[in-house]
Amino acid sequence: MTMMNGQQYEESLRRLNLVVYMFGERIENVVDYPMIRPSMNAVAKTYELANRPEHEDIMTATSHLTGKKINRFTHIHQSIEDLVKKSKMGRLLGRETGCCFQRCVGMDSLNALDMTTFDIDGKYGTEYHKRFLKYLEYVQENDLTCCGAMTDTKGDRSLPPHQQADKDLFLHVVEEKNEGIIVRGAKAHQTGAVNSHEIIVMPTITLREEDKEYAVSFAVPSDTEGITYIIGRQSCDTRKLEKGTMDRGNLFFGGHEALVIFDDVFVPWERVVMYKEYDFSRQLVEQFAAYHRQSYACKVGVGDVLIGAAQTAAEYNGLEKASHIRDKIVEMNHLNETLYCGAIACASEGHKEPGGTYYVNSLLANVHKQNITRFPYEIARLAQDIAGGLLATLPSEDDFRSEEIGKWMEKYYKGRADIPTEYRMRILRLIENLTLGTAATNYLTESMHGAGSPQAQRIMITRRVNMQEKQRAAKTLCGIEDP
Amino acid sequence: MRIHRDEKIKIGLKYCGGCNPEYDRVALVRHIEERLRGKVEFFEPEHEGIELILAVEGCSAACADLSAFQGMKIRIITSIEDGERFIREIEEQ
Repeated sequence: MTMMNGQQYEESLRRLNLVVYMFGERIENVVDYPMIRPSMNAVAKTYELANRPEHEDIMTATSHLTGKKINRFTHIHQSIEDLVKKSKMGRLLGRETGCCFQRCVGMDSLNALDMTTFDIDGKYGTEYHKRFLKYLEYVQENDLTCCGAMTDTKGDRSLPPHQQADKDLFLHVVEEKNEGIIVRGAKAHQTGAVNSHEIIVMPTITLREEDKEYAVSFAVPSDTEGITYIIGRQSCDTRKLEKGTMDRGNLFFGGHEALVIFDDVFVPWERVVMYKEYDFSRQLVEQFAAYHRQSYACKVGVGDVLIGAAQTAAEYNGLEKASHIRDKIVEMNHLNETLYCGAIACASEGHKEPGGTYYVNSLLANVHKQNITRFPYEIARLAQDIAGGLLATLPSEDDFRSEEIGKWMEKYYKGRADIPTEYRMRILRLIENLTLGTAATNYLTESMHGAGSPQAQRIMITRRVNMQEKQRAAKTLCGIEDP
Repeated sequence: MRIHRDEKIKIGLKYCGGCNPEYDRVALVRHIEERLRGKVEFFEPEHEGIELILAVEGCSAACADLSAFQGMKIRIITSIEDGERFIREIEEQ
């Protein structure tokens, strides 16, 4: 098998024996659990679209290892065109799901590790890249979803890992054996963790020699003994437990994040791709981060959905011709397409690394992600402005279906006479979902903190920007000659 | 000049990825198929005996990867109007 379809993906998840908790109880049937199921549907979409002729040009690629057609989410970028298609794929899937489809983080981990393992081997004569390529082929051949696990829980942010009161606040090696290593720690906010076949662990910060036991990267099957998942809550999440579906806003898709605990997990040597090479931790973190900041092209697709919803709400309210509404829609589009510019630019200005892998323009990827920390909030604000206050005061679907009081909602929540009241309610629920509900976790807060909080991008912008050339130009134009 | 053909034209259908299409590409292809019923037959682009690649692109960027079809006759569609022009061309053959 080289490419799965959505159904095969779902079946493959059923074969996993994950230890997953939510609300203090273990979830035995993860795939069908109503608060997780929509997130599985979103990942399944990455498989489904790859099998459709009208999307395969973006959703698939040719493996540089085997020459076979593979899902792009398992691909190592071989050209600028690959990088551009990755950005386009993000927009497509964001628009088709209206949420986080979770699979980009694994793709970004694979590409970053491809480059970093190549470079570690070049310096130390290790065999990490060879191990990595064997693993990559396994991922490609089986079309696996990988969870890229970078973010440690970090404890006291002012202290490096070895000075933390609890050594486990950063994932680290606790024992070395002939067959492999034992690791302990946790990774936080792990997007799509329980929808993944594999967990790829990487260090979360630049490490120094005293922290070399934390400089570890490896991949393990997601149901490896010792791994426990605790699912994070999202605003309005229990609406997925209600009998009706309208109040969810998005009837089909959603995202999830989990705290992933590694309680003395054994990792065989063949799955270890960094061990104590602390001097490569910064490179791995930066390369992964740049790729992952590009991945926020997905928010453009989610923005497409929100703009479409705002326009529809305006039409249902009979206000679509009002000049201020039209101007707000223009502003939303301006912001959304500006985000797209960044996603395309950082890909188009990418380059080939020594190992052959194509890498995004790091400066532009960070600028793009910095915009992502801001523009979706403004787009969401404008959507709420256009939608009106009913967005936040609308009674439940149960009330609307009630034989006693439903008639009052039907009558008094009517907008334009030719539009069913239910349609108006549905579009408002979708806007609520994206700006206040479960999807706001991904469209807003994840946009702020995912792939690094805003300050992380500002540090990278400072590092990458060509200040010398700017100063040269300025000084030349006003007649300054440096001594 | 009209050329009489007994056999249907074998067309290889190649879509762009559809990241932000300006029209419904699949619906347009269905429409073309309907209008040219009996005259053309659509296949996967890699199918044997293809006479023409029809590249259905969602916008004028026309980014579908056509490198595998070098040397073949390729017709690119980027809009519904292009689709209508293609229909007329085939009808006039």
